[in-house]
Amino acid sequence: APSSMPSFDLHSYWTSLISQIQEKLDTAITVKYPERIYEAMRYSVLSDSNKCASAIMCIAACELVGGDPSFAFPTACALEMVHAASLIHDDLPCMDAASLRRGRPTNHAVFGVDLAILAGDALFPLAFRHIVDHTPASHVPPQAILRVIHEIARTVGSTGMTAGQFLDLLPEGGEESADPMLVLEKKFGELAECSAVCGGVLGGAGEEECEALRRYGRAVGVLYVVVDDLLMWEEKVAGSNGPSGKMRNTASVVRAMGMDRAISIVEELRQTAKNELKSFQGCKFGDRVLPLYSFLDYAVERSFVVERCSKANNFLG
Amino acid sequence: VALGTEAAIDFDFEGYMLSKAASVNKALDLALPLVHPERIHEAMRYSLLLGGKRVRPILCLAACELVAGEGTLAIPSACAVEMIHTMSLIHDDLPCMDNDDLRRGHPTCHRAYGEHIAVLAGDALLALAFRHLADLANYPVGFSPELVLRTVAELSRCVGTEGLVAGQVVDLESTGLDEAISIEQLEFIHYHKTAALLEASVVLGAIVGGATDSEIVRLRRYAQCIGLLFQVVDDILDVTKSSQELGKTAGKDLASDKTTYPKLLGLARSREFAEELLRDAKLQLEGFNSLTAAPLFHLSNYIAYRQK
Repeated sequence: APSSMPSFDLHSYWTSLISQIQEKLDTAITVKYPERIYEAMRYSVLSDSNKCASAIMCIAACELVGGDPSFAFPTACALEMVHAASLIHDDLPCMDAASLRRGRPTNHAVFGVDLAILAGDALFPLAFRHIVDHTPASHVPPQAILRVIHEIARTVGSTGMTAGQFLDLLPEGGEESADPMLVLEKKFGELAECSAVCGGVLGGAGEEECEALRRYGRAVGVLYVVVDDLLMWEEKVAGSNGPSGKMRNTASVVRAMGMDRAISIVEELRQTAKNELKSFQGCKFGDRVLPLYSFLDYAVERSFVVERCSKANNFLG
Repeated sequence: VALGTEAAIDFDFEGYMLSKAASVNKALDLALPLVHPERIHEAMRYSLLLGGKRVRPILCLAACELVAGEGTLAIPSACAVEMIHTMSLIHDDLPCMDNDDLRRGHPTCHRAYGEHIAVLAGDALLALAFRHLADLANYPVGFSPELVLRTVAELSRCVGTEGLVAGQVVDLESTGLDEAISIEQLEFIHYHKTAALLEASVVLGAIVGGATDSEIVRLRRYAQCIGLLFQVVDDILDVTKSSQELGKTAGKDLASDKTTYPKLLGLARSREFAEELLRDAKLQLEGFNSLTAAPLFHLSNYIAYRQK
């Protein structure tokens, strides 16, 4: 059922932020010698079909706690960089061996396996550097910037997304095959969690607010892919948000637990996420919590197709 | 006091290296516990803890001591540069890159654990380096977060497309060509692939030790010299030593038509060039107290005169 909250135009909010983020990413990765590595990095980061969900989550969380979006933009870009890096490596022949990503050839299919590995290796440090160089030091204390870097490094590391990919690659039906929910939490939940927490930290959130954002983000991240999974199984997906091939069979909750269980997991996660947002009501926050509510609704309902505004639209609007 | 032969006699370099390597090894062991999922952490520990001379972390500690005297401040930086170094070795050794089977006398990570785990272990070590470096809990209470942020910026510059990765890309692009590459291209490769991380090691240590900007400039130059020196010596060793002596495949450069200093300059001129770089490196240390500069002085000798 739709949310009872006042309506919020998430579609406009989202598409306008995507344009701003892609513009910033465009200038963050300029091509110079040796050109091919920069081209490989740009190919995956500046994909038109990138929904930039991590970046949006980060900016919305920063605004929620009263921060200016400009505090969060560098970290939002960094999140897109590390996300692209991990997707490039996940697609490699020795991993998922994917030839398509977001509807076009994967990085290694275009640039070769060696360049794809190096493009990923370069995007991780670029993300950290981008945060240090561009976060406004006059508004965000150095401790907060360090915390954000620590948070991102933990998320992409051996207990986070790397662990998720490792578990996802365990042979199916093997002795140590992984719990599909754990794979989803590691591969998708942790990045969404990190995005929300980083936004909160940059916006000056207190500890309790950060923890609420952490639980909200994690729930939404997992919820989002379980819905993807359900939609894929129902084969009734519309438009460019169609089956993304982002899940291997081992990580399919529907296949492992059945359609009914998957649907109830979606409901539980939605409730969890909603509960966390309750702590952000009242005059201190005003309407600033609305983007996160409608983000949650979108994760379940997919009421529109996210597209990048064309440049012309952006400038006219 | 000028750096003379006296310092060379009085300083127990071997003892210094052993004690520093031991404290680095202990810190690395603690920084990377064997947690779930175990296999990925096993692979990381295998590559990080098995062997290695710890030249980079020791450079980091020595640079910190040179400007501040208190080397423990640089332990997180020392761990971070060794994690980055290990990560770059794991990825460089992959079949799609240099395709090496042997590293530090043991099977390479992908040989021991499989290619997918090697890619992931490298990625995870890269992440861990920044996680460890940026964690204020790893520094004394009240330590300047601004200085820590500067180390993060410096390290990230040296790892990416202005450092390690750029060197690796140009190296890959110039392998298998019919003709030898120019000396400028060869220097580009080594300044990025090798010197950049040695530079980061020294500069990170200097930053947390509270070095002045002019001290950092001199130490940066020192590191660039020994970085290039390291590679010139490596090229020389590749043609003069056996695999067994090196603990890695010897003669590989010759077999793969890779451009090296001996090939471009000849063995004698390569050795001269190494001497020039060593002199330049030592020149940068003049003006520092010869006693506290002794470790860096001897490290440059060590890099120049090592046998493997």
